[in-house]
Amino acid sequence: MSLWRQLTHGLRNLMHPSARDQDVADEVEHYFEQAESELRLGGLSADDARRAARLEAGNRTVVKERVNSYGWENAVRCFTGDLRFAGRQLRKHPVFTVTATLTLALGIGANTAIFTVVQSVLLAPLPYRNADRLAVLDTHWTNSGHTTPRVTGPDAADVRDQTRSMEAVSLYNGGRLGVALRDHSAYTVVTLADANFWRVFGVQPAAGRLFTQADADRAAVVSAQFARDNFGSAQAALGQVVRVEGEPLEITGVLPEGFGFPSNTEVWEARSLLKSKWDARSAFNYKAVGLLRSGVSFAAAQTELDGLSERLKVAYPETNRNKQMVMEPLEKALTGDVRPTLLLLWATVGLILLIACVNVTHLQLVRSMERRREIAIRKALGSSRWQVMQPVMLESLLVSLMGGVAGVLLAVPAIRVLLAMAPKALPRVEEIHLNGWVLAFALGLAVLTAMVSSVLPALRAWRVDPAEALKQDASRGMSGQGAARLRDGLVIAEIAATFVLAMGAGLLLHTVLNLMGRDLGYQTRQLLVVDADAPAHTVQDGDRAVRQFNEIFSELRAVPGVERVAGIMGLPMGSYGSNGYYTVGGAGPVDVNRSPYANWSVASPGYFETMGIPMKQGRDFSAQDRFDSPFVAVISEALAKQSFGNTDPVGRQIQCGLDSDKWMTVIGVVGDVRQNSPAEMPGPTLYMPMAQHPFYANQIHVVLRTEVKPLTLMNAVQEKIAGVNPLIALRFTTMDAMVDQSMATERFRAALISSFAGVGLLLAMLGVYGTMAYSVAKRTFEIGIRMAFGAEKSAILRGVLEHAAKLACYGIAAGVALSLILTRLVTSMLAGVRPIDPVSLVSAALLLVLTAVTAALVPGWRATHVDPMVALRTE
Amino acid sequence: MDDPNTDVIQGTLDLLVLKTLSLGPLHGFGIARRVEQVSGGVFKVNPGSLLTALERLERAGWLDAEWRQTENSRRAKFYALTGAGKKQLAVETADWTRRSGAIARLLETEG
Repeated sequence: MSLWRQLTHGLRNLMHPSARDQDVADEVEHYFEQAESELRLGGLSADDARRAARLEAGNRTVVKERVNSYGWENAVRCFTGDLRFAGRQLRKHPVFTVTATLTLALGIGANTAIFTVVQSVLLAPLPYRNADRLAVLDTHWTNSGHTTPRVTGPDAADVRDQTRSMEAVSLYNGGRLGVALRDHSAYTVVTLADANFWRVFGVQPAAGRLFTQADADRAAVVSAQFARDNFGSAQAALGQVVRVEGEPLEITGVLPEGFGFPSNTEVWEARSLLKSKWDARSAFNYKAVGLLRSGVSFAAAQTELDGLSERLKVAYPETNRNKQMVMEPLEKALTGDVRPTLLLLWATVGLILLIACVNVTHLQLVRSMERRREIAIRKALGSSRWQVMQPVMLESLLVSLMGGVAGVLLAVPAIRVLLAMAPKALPRVEEIHLNGWVLAFALGLAVLTAMVSSVLPALRAWRVDPAEALKQDASRGMSGQGAARLRDGLVIAEIAATFVLAMGAGLLLHTVLNLMGRDLGYQTRQLLVVDADAPAHTVQDGDRAVRQFNEIFSELRAVPGVERVAGIMGLPMGSYGSNGYYTVGGAGPVDVNRSPYANWSVASPGYFETMGIPMKQGRDFSAQDRFDSPFVAVISEALAKQSFGNTDPVGRQIQCGLDSDKWMTVIGVVGDVRQNSPAEMPGPTLYMPMAQHPFYANQIHVVLRTEVKPLTLMNAVQEKIAGVNPLIALRFTTMDAMVDQSMATERFRAALISSFAGVGLLLAMLGVYGTMAYSVAKRTFEIGIRMAFGAEKSAILRGVLEHAAKLACYGIAAGVALSLILTRLVTSMLAGVRPIDPVSLVSAALLLVLTAVTAALVPGWRATHVDPMVALRTE
Repeated sequence: MDDPNTDVIQGTLDLLVLKTLSLGPLHGFGIARRVEQVSGGVFKVNPGSLLTALERLERAGWLDAEWRQTENSRRAKFYALTGAGKKQLAVETADWTRRSGAIARLLETEG
């Protein structure tokens, strides 16, 4: 009741202030009237009665004022009044307002954009039911310490069947595959999964039904997008047949919008839960996801997995001696790779915001110097500490809020640019968008910057001594050494922070340059790459595929402009590839604990020549290396060194678990390549001929060395391949583009940090310019006197520039010290560059000195044009 | 020459107003006058404090206010005790009796 009255009375008074005034006036008037009439009744004249009433009850206006100032709404009214005053002040100083707002808009905009990405990718829960209970199973090697993000079928089946902490475990694999529809085929991400997949993710279909174990190899579920694109609607897709790797699958269900695990899958093919004949405890054919039982912690589940790993170790010492099944939260598995990059970006924009704050603080300080008189008068009239500081803080708050709004408006296009630049590997891209959290973050930032940037000016306002301030004529410019030192300190801080940014940008740019200039072990130019997906399931299928590819290769060789053609499973930077342990014959007893590890590739004859990988020893594969002839292999130099030392490897025996355990004879040695990215060290690779491993014919890249621009041959190549087999799904790219893509993360980082460093530089320049311009303006009188006494113009200019250079040097010194600490954090993102890179260090330092001196040029020039007569007369 | 102190004892204005209004609705000056008369001139109420207190008591829900026309067609605000106001009066009266009794006892033993 009383709260309600408080609220309604207050609101009514706020809404109708004149009615309220009238009420109070009427009541007070009535009071005095009554008092007077009583006094008149007591025999006083009208005038005397008025005087007596006034003597007794006081001044009417004071009474009204007193009654009027009651109530919470009054505080609100005072505040809005002050806010209006601050707004008027800002409008009167447009240069200050616009500069400060834009500075903050840059800072808050950059932060909002990056935070949008950080929030959506790292902070928001995964968009799956029970997201916090989803886990990924990996295989950890206790001997080498490295972890394979895959599992073998039998191991995962044991986890599924023998652990209690997991509610469901699902095995899946897949990748980009050709999907044949009635009249065309599409290249898309296909995931082959067992029926548990749906239990793990708790998905319900948007139409139709999910596949069950009984549907294995016969049914598929598709994404909402895929159904719409290819059949028009979800309902229309039900019952349709698609072919994946030649196998017909009936679409039983369509998933709800937004589900696309893993990596934006569009088609999920039903696979059997049963062990297939290809499964062995040495074949890492699957990825596995699991759902923890509710209430079970990851640590507890891991403990159970450890126990299971121990049992498997005993039961299958051959294969499981060094294996440990490990799990990590799905969230971490998905976003772990980008976390450091995003955190780095976050830290960087934090630094930008700091620089922006320093700039605004500086602007505020200059403003508060100018309003010393106003503040002095306020204090002289007895304003409290809060009353003196409040206008400064309110102005700051207004500026920050405007900056915040402008920043959010800036962030919208910035996010779009960011996403366009982002490497394809950035997970959860489709979830990135502005939302309430982000807006709250931006608002919080605005308030924070308001507080940070107004603390110093507000404190200074408090310390203004009215007597001094009113006496001292500001334009005579002897005002406080302390103020000048404070401004210089801010500029130094700003330059130090900018130096750190420039240093970071330098390191990352240097890394990208290094990577681009790296010898990859093969020639990337003029190389057309074709993803050719040819279905193969049986040995006969494989043989046919191999024959078909041989036919395609010879057809392609006849295309004008094509120099060489080959096929390869395990192309560097490519989407297929395999790796694992191998054994070498005649090397004495095999030490299982120290099995050597290599990348595995399956190549057609002529591959090395096509790629420009040098043949160091022995011979290439030839048409004579057939399925029924003795198995052969080519090894890379690193493998030769790793397993054969200085002895001649040609003729030696080697064995690996790719698809058969036959011993292979080493027939040649080739140069090493960087397999996954230019950042990687060249490693050991084991090449096997395609004809002897026909199953891998369906994971082949066709590479063509061309004499012309590679992509101009696209149509001719497509025609030739379709002529041999129209069902082969094709995708074209160039080796240059693939290498480029593999460096996308490094490039993204370098580009972003460089642009942030650019923003920082701009802000630092503004800061130096502001300080110099202000101090020159304040010293006009002093400079005038010096000029009157015959000082050289050049000496005065030098004085200003030297001051700027001195500030820059102090800033750089502080920046170097900071960099020594901070650049350690990016060590893992560098390639071929040490964190204390002299090139980056010197260029960052030069850049900053140059920036500072440039920023000081205009004020310096202005100083030399001070007319002594005018300056001395100025008052 | 010192005037005798006619200030209302701190914290008792509410009690005085509530008690005065328990006899029937009054306007601001009427309340002030009655407090002065009944107290025999010991307490004089300042209009600024009184009108503010009336606003406060009204918002607390202890008083209802009503505008009436006076004979010379002025607007006058009349205040009346609400049910909650009556309860509050009882509470404050009891409280005051307890405290003034205590003070009286203290003064007696001192004497």
